[in-house]
Amino acid sequence: MILLLSAVVAVLFGAGAFLVLKTDLLRVVVGMVLISHAANLTLMASGLTRGKAPIYPLPNGEVSDPLVQAMTLTALVIGFGVTALLLGIAYRVYETHFAVDFDRLAEEEARREAELEQEEVSV
Amino acid sequence: MTLVLPLAIPWFAAVALAALDGRRPAVGWAAVASLAAALVATAALAIRVWTEGPVETVTGGWPVGVGITLRADALSVLFSLLTLAVLVVCLAHEVLSGIESRLFPALVAFMTVGLTGLFLTGDIFSFYVFFEIAMVSAYVITGYGGRPRQISAAFVFAVVNLLGSFVFLIAIAATYHVTGSLEMGQVAERIADVEPSTVILIAVTVFVAFGVKLGLFPFHFWLPVVYASVRPAVAAILSGALANIGTYGVLRFGADVFPRELEFSASALVVLGVITILYGAMQAMSRRTAPEVIAYSSIGQVGYVLIALAIGGPIGYAAAVLYAILNSLNKVLLFLASGLRGWLVGAAFFVGVISVAGIPPAAGFFGKLEVFRAAIEDASVTLVALLFLGGALSVVYLLQIYQHVYWRPGGVAAGGEASPVVLRALTFAVALVVLALGLWPEPLLAASRAAAEVLVGGPE
Repeated sequence: MILLLSAVVAVLFGAGAFLVLKTDLLRVVVGMVLISHAANLTLMASGLTRGKAPIYPLPNGEVSDPLVQAMTLTALVIGFGVTALLLGIAYRVYETHFAVDFDRLAEEEARREAELEQEEVSV
Repeated sequence: MTLVLPLAIPWFAAVALAALDGRRPAVGWAAVASLAAALVATAALAIRVWTEGPVETVTGGWPVGVGITLRADALSVLFSLLTLAVLVVCLAHEVLSGIESRLFPALVAFMTVGLTGLFLTGDIFSFYVFFEIAMVSAYVITGYGGRPRQISAAFVFAVVNLLGSFVFLIAIAATYHVTGSLEMGQVAERIADVEPSTVILIAVTVFVAFGVKLGLFPFHFWLPVVYASVRPAVAAILSGALANIGTYGVLRFGADVFPRELEFSASALVVLGVITILYGAMQAMSRRTAPEVIAYSSIGQVGYVLIALAIGGPIGYAAAVLYAILNSLNKVLLFLASGLRGWLVGAAFFVGVISVAGIPPAAGFFGKLEVFRAAIEDASVTLVALLFLGGALSVVYLLQIYQHVYWRPGGVAAGGEASPVVLRALTFAVALVVLALGLWPEPLLAASRAAAEVLVGGPE
């Protein structure tokens, strides 16, 4: 089980890292989502135990570790919030630059910088 | 109760402020007042910690080991005090110059919750949660102002720092897996029995996560773009308050949780620190605008903290704490002054310049002095020489930018209208604090030594 989970985590993280390195902002956001799920899965895997649901009063025999589930739930919620925020920022970038591609954003930025330099020289 | 107040005040204030229009001065001042109240509560807590020793409580009345522990010791109260003071000044500065966004005061209050929370928690996972609260507010604050450059800076900042956060989350999972605990004290005890090769991997992961936050070489690439594009008060918040997460994190996790690994990797940290100092200084020398120079300078200055941490022992840790505190004060002063024009501003900027360069009577002198003392204690001639070189370079780049901005006829400082007197007075007051700490450094030195003792003694 651990081997399977670590393989999944590795694939998720790798795919996420690949997407983050793309120039398209939306691909970057999707890449971050994949990496966040890699982290969540690692959290789950870190306390993987076989047992009954840990609901009070505790049943006889082994119970599974409730702490990792609580942590993963918290991390998931944070992850969702952050993803929404990232999409919001990406949309704002689109609104202000009319582009969602880093190459075009860089061009735009270079053009602005050149304008500023011109102003400074003329002062 | 004293432990809960510094957290509860900004938390309730933040929720209330989120519903109000922050552009109105009254709301802004209410936010400043609530942060100031939190500062007073933290000061009361700090006095108790300094006189009676660490304060600890378990939230929700749970037994120890079940609930989340909150713990205040000399290190955490010192960082909370510094961060709250910085946030109060920066928020007051922004209120005085007119807030443009309705959410700004609430976001600063949320960031305060996150920062004080992570300083005062004794639990690794709630450290991550508070860390995210602070970071998420920081992502939004970076875009404050709404200019195209600021929005794209916010995106870069958010993506890079989120990567850092997820890496930290993976490190927490690994720590839980090998120790079966999330309480820092317990983790530190149990980690001593774990296979060293496993622990070193976890320690490196934690270090990478905080390195991204701090902008250490080679994780610095995002920092200049962000610091140079955002508004001066926001840059001051990011470098003076938020960057404390990184320094507190490497101190707490490095010296307290992974002391064996810290000792093992000391030479690697010294090399990274030296490269960071020299790289930051070289890059800063080749820049022409004040925000860019200060941004690269803040990359370089973190190197001193790293070197002091790597030297370790009571002297090294005390130097690291002191340098981290003075560095964040210097950066606040420089960033705030760089955005203003008119009389007194040049003087305030100059105080910041000599403080970063480590020239008396500014407080930065004692920071440099302590790091030198630690390096001499380490008996390494090369290290002392390299630290001296870094210090000399910082004099060059900062005086260069001071001359470029404030002495050149028709320079940036000469153009435009003078800023409002209150803003200049506030910035000058920060400069006076830096000078006062340089003239009477004993309280700060004692506080940083007390913080270092916590780290040397290990967790209770």
